[in-house]
Amino acid sequence: MRRKLTSIFFVLLLSFGLAGCWDARELTDISIAVGLGIDKEDDLFQVTVQLIDPAEIAGKMLSSRSASTVYTTTGHTIFEAMRKLTTLAPREIYLGHLRIVIFGEEYAKEGILDALDFMSRYHEMRTDFYISIARENKASDLLKIITPLEKSPANKIFSSLEASHEFWAPTKGVKLDELIASMSSEGKEAVLTGLYVQGDPEQGTNMANVEKAASPADIKVDYIGVFNGEKLVGWLNKEESKGVNYLENEIKNSMKWVNCEKEGRVSLELIDSKTDVKGSLQGNKPKITINVETEANIAEVQCTTDLSKPETITAFEKKAASKQESILNTSIERAKELEADIFGFGEVMTRSDLTYWKEIKKNWNQIFANELEVEVKAKVNIRRTGTINESFFDDVKKKSEMSE
Amino acid sequence: MKKKFWDLFGKQKKKKMPALQNIPDKLHAPLHKKVEDNVSTIKETLGNSFDIVSRSFKIGTEKPVSAALFYMEGLADKNFVQDFVLETLMLDVRETDLGQKGSKTTDFYTILKERAVTNGVVKEIKDFQTALDHLLSGDTVIVLEGYAKGLSISSNGMKDRGVQEATSQTVVRGPKEGFTETIRTNTSLIRRRIKDPNLWIETKKVGKKTKTEVAICYLKGVAQDEIIEEVRKRIDDIDIDAILESGYIEELIQDETYTPFPTVYNTERPDTACAGILEGRIVIIVDGTPFVLIVPALFVHFFQSTEDFAQRSDIGTLMRLLRFLCFFIALLTPSAYIALTTFHQEMIPTQLLISLAAQREGVPFPAVVEAFMMEITFEILREAGTRMPRAVGSAISIVGALVLGQAAVEAGIVSSAMVIVVSLTAISSFVSPTFNMSISVRILRFGFMILAGMFGLFGIIIGLIIMVLHLTSLRSFGIPYLAPMGPFIPSEQKDTLVRMPFWRMKTRPKLISQMDMEREETQSPRPPEKEDPKN
Repeated sequence: MRRKLTSIFFVLLLSFGLAGCWDARELTDISIAVGLGIDKEDDLFQVTVQLIDPAEIAGKMLSSRSASTVYTTTGHTIFEAMRKLTTLAPREIYLGHLRIVIFGEEYAKEGILDALDFMSRYHEMRTDFYISIARENKASDLLKIITPLEKSPANKIFSSLEASHEFWAPTKGVKLDELIASMSSEGKEAVLTGLYVQGDPEQGTNMANVEKAASPADIKVDYIGVFNGEKLVGWLNKEESKGVNYLENEIKNSMKWVNCEKEGRVSLELIDSKTDVKGSLQGNKPKITINVETEANIAEVQCTTDLSKPETITAFEKKAASKQESILNTSIERAKELEADIFGFGEVMTRSDLTYWKEIKKNWNQIFANELEVEVKAKVNIRRTGTINESFFDDVKKKSEMSE
Repeated sequence: MKKKFWDLFGKQKKKKMPALQNIPDKLHAPLHKKVEDNVSTIKETLGNSFDIVSRSFKIGTEKPVSAALFYMEGLADKNFVQDFVLETLMLDVRETDLGQKGSKTTDFYTILKERAVTNGVVKEIKDFQTALDHLLSGDTVIVLEGYAKGLSISSNGMKDRGVQEATSQTVVRGPKEGFTETIRTNTSLIRRRIKDPNLWIETKKVGKKTKTEVAICYLKGVAQDEIIEEVRKRIDDIDIDAILESGYIEELIQDETYTPFPTVYNTERPDTACAGILEGRIVIIVDGTPFVLIVPALFVHFFQSTEDFAQRSDIGTLMRLLRFLCFFIALLTPSAYIALTTFHQEMIPTQLLISLAAQREGVPFPAVVEAFMMEITFEILREAGTRMPRAVGSAISIVGALVLGQAAVEAGIVSSAMVIVVSLTAISSFVSPTFNMSISVRILRFGFMILAGMFGLFGIIIGLIIMVLHLTSLRSFGIPYLAPMGPFIPSEQKDTLVRMPFWRMKTRPKLISQMDMEREETQSPRPPEKEDPKN
C-alpha cells in the first residue's frame, strides 16, 4: 500500500511538469507599452501604441536612439488593430503598464464606448492609467512628440497630469473606473482633460526637439472636455475648468489671486477646500445650493498693505470669496450652455427628492440647462501670511522716490 | 521471477547474514583464578595491541601474592596509575604487612578493595567482557592470584581540548564558553550553572562497537515524566555499531525523518542547554562531540538566541522579529523574483520594471534558469568555503565576489538584479541563530523556485500552504511543532514572536513542562515610595 501511494505521489509530482510554463513571459519577450492612442480613420479604428526601449531609459550604455517607439495600425475592431501591431513590433506588446490612453478629438466626438469596453475587458490592463483627449488633434500625433526631461512621453503626460491635478485646479486626471462610473451614472456627465501640442508638431517628432533647453514643441495639459453621454460635446477653457474640481471636492492644493486696493495683486495658496452641495425643490423648480469653504495662505504680495491688521485680511477674504463665486458661476453657466451636467447635480437631486427625480429624469439635461437655479456661497479663510509679515514694497519705493 | 513496477520502490529483501563469530564465547566467561591465564586471555582478545600495558607484580613480602594490572596507554592517566595504584600495592602494602601476620581476615581481595586502593571509584569485575569494557574506557584493571574476580579503578585521564569559545553560535553579549568533546566536562558545565538537587543526569552506553556514553539531563519535577520516559525508551531502542556524533542519536530518535525541518535542537552553548533544562526540556549529551541535543524542539525555538535574553527585551524582540522576516526573505526572494518577472509583470512598479527589463536585455537565459544558476553557484561557494583548507580560504572570496558577481554581470550572463536577489537571500539565511533551520530553508528554497517557475505566485502560495500543513503535522516528542502558535496558547506569546521583560514571563511553557508551572514572582521594578515627611 505504501509503495503504491509513493509511486502515485511521484507520478503526480511529475505531472506538474506537464503544465509547463504556459503563461510565462520573460521580460525579454515583451515590449512595455506606456501610451495608447485611439483614433477613427474612416470606418476603421486607428490604434497607436507607444513602446519604450528599457535599455535606452535604464541601460548602462545609452545610444542616441529614441527611448520610445510608436507603431500605428488600423482595424475593424480595436483588438484586431492591436493584434496587427505584432506584424510591426518585434515583441509581444504588453499593456499592463499603460500610463495614458489618448482619444483623438474626432473619435471622442463620435463616442468612446467601444474603447472603454475593450479597456475594461482586456485582462492585461490595470486600470490606473489616465485617460485624456487630444484637443484639435489626432492621438497618434501626440504620441509621436519626443518630450524633454522625461524619456518616455507617456510618462511625461502621466506625471504632469498628476502634478497639475494636485497643484493646479483647472486640470483633472481621470482614470478608467471614474470615467465609466460618471458616464453610466444618471444625473452626471463625464469630463476628460485635454492635451495639445504647444509649438510645432512637426519639429516635435525629431530628436532635435530635446536637444535645446527650450524645446520647440511640447505636450501641454489644459482644457476640460465635456461629454454628453458617450460623446464629446465641447470644451471648458481654463477659467471655466476651475469650478469643476471645486465642485467635485477634489481640490488639494491650488492658487488664486485677488486685486489689492490700489494696484498690484495678492496671490493666495489654497491649502484645503470643502464643497457642500445640497439640492431642494422650490415650488416646482429644482434648486442647488453650493457652499464652498476654503482655507488659504498668502503666498505673494505685490502692493503696500498692512497684513498685521485683521481688517486687511478680512477684506482679502471677501474679495477672494466673491472671486470664487464668480469662478463657479462661470463653470456652471458654460456647462448649462453645453447641456451637460458634469457636476452631478442630478445625483444631488436624486438624493434630496427621489419622486421628483423619477418624473424628470428623462429630460434632466434640458431642465439643468434652462430651469435649474444654482446658488453659490463661498467663504475663504486666510490662515497664515507667510514667513514675512509686512511687505518691504513700501520702503523700497520710498527710497527710489527720494533719489529722484 | 518478473519484477513488478512497484518493487522499484520497495525495500530489497534482506539476505540472511551469518551471525558474526568474531566475538568469542570466552569473553562472557568469568575470570580465571590464575593470573597468567587472565593476562594471556586479555592480551589475546585485544590482539596484543601495542597500547595495552600489563604489569605483573607481587604484593606482600612474607607470602607474596601474584597480581597483574592493566591499563590502556593514552586513555588512562599514567601518573595516577604510577603514584596511587602501583606504588600503594607494591610498596606500601608490603610495609604494613597487610593481611598477613595476625590479620583477622585472610580474604586478601576484600582487604585490597576496602582498604588498600585509595581511589573514589572502584568496581568489582567478574567476567572478561566487563573487564574489557572498563579497560577500554580508560580504567585500570587489577586481577589477583586465586580470585576469579578483579578490580577496576577509575583512572580516566584522556587528553581533551579544554573549554573553548563556542564557534557555531556566537553572541555579542552572553557567555562565551562552549561545550567540549568530553562528556564529564560538559556535564560539569551544566552543573555549574544549575545548582539544584533536582538536576538529574542519567547515563547510558550506546553503540555496540563504540560504547559511547550518552547522558540524559533534566530537571526532575519540571520536565514531564512521559517525555523523559520516551527519550529513555528511544535511546534504549538504538541498536547501532557506532555513535560518533550527536547527529547519529538525533536521527535515530527524531519523530519524523522525511522532513526538511529539524525536530531536535542542537547547541554548542552550555547556557542554551541550561535554558532548555530550566524550561523543562531534556538535554542529551553525547561523548565525543561538543554538540548536545535538546528535546522537544519546536519551530520557534530555532529563532531564539540566548542573546535575546542577554539584551534588553525591546532589542530582543526586534532581533527576533527580524529573524522571522529573514526566514521568509531567505525562503521566498528568488521565487518571488521569478514569479513577478515572468508571470506578473503588472505587479512591479513601472519604473522598476523598466530598469529590470533593461538589465535583462541580452541575458540569454529565462529567469528561472538564471536564478538556479546563481543559487547553485552560491551553494557551491558556501560548501567550498566550509570544506577548503584555511590556507586557501581567501581565494574563495576573490573568486566568489569578483569573478562570479561582477564579471558574470558584465559578461551579460546574469542580470545584476539577480545578483542582488541571491546575495540578499544568502545574507538572510545566515541570520538564523541555528544552522539546521537555515539548511531547511536552503532545501525548500529550490522547491519554491521550481513552483514559481511553473505557476508563478500561485505556485508559491501552493507551496506555502503545503509547507504550513506539513509543519502542523510535525511533532517533536509528542509536542505539536508549531506550538504555541498552532495550537495557539495566548499565555505563551510572551516568548514567541516577541520577548517580554523577565517579570512578565512568570510561567514555564505549558506543553513542555506540565508540572511546577510557576517560574518566578518578580514584580515589575518601581521607584521606591516616598516616605511621608511627617514621620
